[in-house]
Amino acid sequence: MVSRRRFLAALGAAALAGCGRPASERGAKTLVFKHGKLFGDPRALRALIDEFESAHPGVAVHEETLPASSDEQHQFYAINLQARSRAFDVLALDIIWVAGFARAGWLSELGALEPGTFFDGPAEAVTWQGKAYALPWFVDAGLLYYRRDLLEKRGLAPPETWQDLVRIAREVAPRAPGTHGFVWQGKQYEGLVCNALEYLHSNGGAVLAEGRVVLDSPQNREALGLMADLVHRYGVTPASVTTATEEPSRHVFGQGRALFLRNWPYAWRLFQDPSSRVHGSVGIAALPRFPGGRSAPTLGGWQLAVNAASSHQEEAAALVRFLTGEKAQRQLALAYGFQPARTALYRDAELLATQPFVGQLARVFAAARPRPVTPQYVRVSQVLQSGFSAALSGRRTPQAALAHAHERIEEILDAA
Amino acid sequence: MRLEREQPWRYLAPAGLLLALVTVYPLAHVLWLSLERRSLLDPAPPAFAGLENYARLAADERFWNALGNTAYFVGVSVSLELMLGLAFALALQRAFRGRAALYGIILLPWAVPTAVSARMWEWMFEPDIGVLNYLLGAQVNWLGSPAWALNAAVLMDVWKSTPFVALLLIAGLQSIPQDLYRAAAVDGASRWTVLTRITLPLLAPMILVALLFRTIDAFRVFDAIYVLTGGGPADSTETLSIYAYRVLFQSLEFGYGSALAVSVFALVAVFALVYRMLLRKVLP
Repeated sequence: MVSRRRFLAALGAAALAGCGRPASERGAKTLVFKHGKLFGDPRALRALIDEFESAHPGVAVHEETLPASSDEQHQFYAINLQARSRAFDVLALDIIWVAGFARAGWLSELGALEPGTFFDGPAEAVTWQGKAYALPWFVDAGLLYYRRDLLEKRGLAPPETWQDLVRIAREVAPRAPGTHGFVWQGKQYEGLVCNALEYLHSNGGAVLAEGRVVLDSPQNREALGLMADLVHRYGVTPASVTTATEEPSRHVFGQGRALFLRNWPYAWRLFQDPSSRVHGSVGIAALPRFPGGRSAPTLGGWQLAVNAASSHQEEAAALVRFLTGEKAQRQLALAYGFQPARTALYRDAELLATQPFVGQLARVFAAARPRPVTPQYVRVSQVLQSGFSAALSGRRTPQAALAHAHERIEEILDAA
Repeated sequence: MRLEREQPWRYLAPAGLLLALVTVYPLAHVLWLSLERRSLLDPAPPAFAGLENYARLAADERFWNALGNTAYFVGVSVSLELMLGLAFALALQRAFRGRAALYGIILLPWAVPTAVSARMWEWMFEPDIGVLNYLLGAQVNWLGSPAWALNAAVLMDVWKSTPFVALLLIAGLQSIPQDLYRAAAVDGASRWTVLTRITLPLLAPMILVALLFRTIDAFRVFDAIYVLTGGGPADSTETLSIYAYRVLFQSLEFGYGSALAVSVFALVAVFALVYRMLLRKVLP
């Protein structure tokens, strides 16, 4: 099998050689940094990398962009890392991959995190068996968008609990013809897991606790039950939510056809566009909770890590520390509108002055919860997607769906 | 004389080698992988596991669900395509003005890349603003309800593939000697008799060829469903290929995924063999 590994590694190297490194960099240590496409001017990131290069003479950094699809990036990394490819040194990882890659031994340890430097959610997600295998770069978390104009007209405050949301949606939406109460992402895909966990977590529920499956619990039954009731009992969410991903739900809200929307922070900018039909009438709030629970937006975002097979361990770790450092995160936040993973930046005057929206998010990110941190996450997610979708589309009762998924996840963890 | 007998092998060798390289080797490799406990994300080295993956397959309800969905998709879409394709072929067989233009138009759905037409259908299926519900004056949740979603995918497949069946059958119809029809007319045969005694029996080989192509294609359906629903809601459109994609390309379980792929291959091979037997029977 060694020959196969070598073959794959050679294949990866050949693909990279095609991209070509400048001749002037030969002889120097060249770090290859793999990341997904950044939406915005690539020069901002390059400027930071130039700064790193001048601080580290003899080290050159070569950036390489991966395809935008998350599945494809995951495959690319897994195939190359498994083959111990040295074709890249530093990589950007989706938050849900870290545990799996760390257990496989593909990432270098980066020491312990100083408590409080990063938000708790990302800090938990990059930690595997007590050690950090990646450093948080950017964070993302679910938010509640609401039509401020429609709520203010009736003197209503944004909802604190899911029950408030139902009440307000049933009161306000019917008076605005063609307006749905609440839209979110209910298609059978990763986004559905993000949405559903926000209900479970905000009712004190969870999927895993200390390595055990705790999915089939009274809290989770109540939470998933309410999520299904939004569609089938209260009618505040259209039945077609079972086909909705981020963009279609954003369009519905952006065209003024919904009172509430659950989405990621990226939608904010798009609603601020003067040509947007809801321009100037959108508010944001923390996602609702159950009485007695706490708002629990699902965490997303990107982390930087070092390829364990890289022959430039020290330099690669230095680059990761530099790019996830306070200064770099500030620059990148200013340039790309990403939300930094470092808590201190949410008190940064320059950042808050230019991006007041980011300031409002500190509370949301502080409460954000990672998806179950397990090396088997991809398989666990496939089971959850199927179970949550069955509950929402009425194919199973929430109770039956949870009990069924609970058993399947136990099988996966037992077999591993 | 000896030389002559040896020669065919020499000429066949390059083609045979190429075939072995591009079909036999990958197939054998997948077969071997399916006997291994091997997952990309598992730090443990791959190990021979015998029939373990196949035992897991037999007990995997998601596999059986996917098999059921696939069988439904194949059965309903292929029979509709055959009936509609035959009707089109019979209608278009006679010469009339504008026939060439009509050929072009009915071929369009077949010519559009599936991912593109699936995106188009996704918009048409949209319950609030989609054209389908507007035309029907209905509120059908086409892609979002387990009862409808697979039928919606069938509808799109029928739209796309009927032209292909029609085209094959038109070619078949044109190869039927016109003398037979003239003789039937002289004998005063009714149109029904002509259809059941001349047209269909002589068209049978072509019908079988069309069925073979369509069955195998529909059995492996992936792109249309991947774009339309991604397998949901509640796994109601998860076909074998979609499930194999999840296992092979998302959770990267190469061993189990290979067992899944081998089982799809075995089922397709059975279809091919059955059609071949039938073809042998109808061919003179």
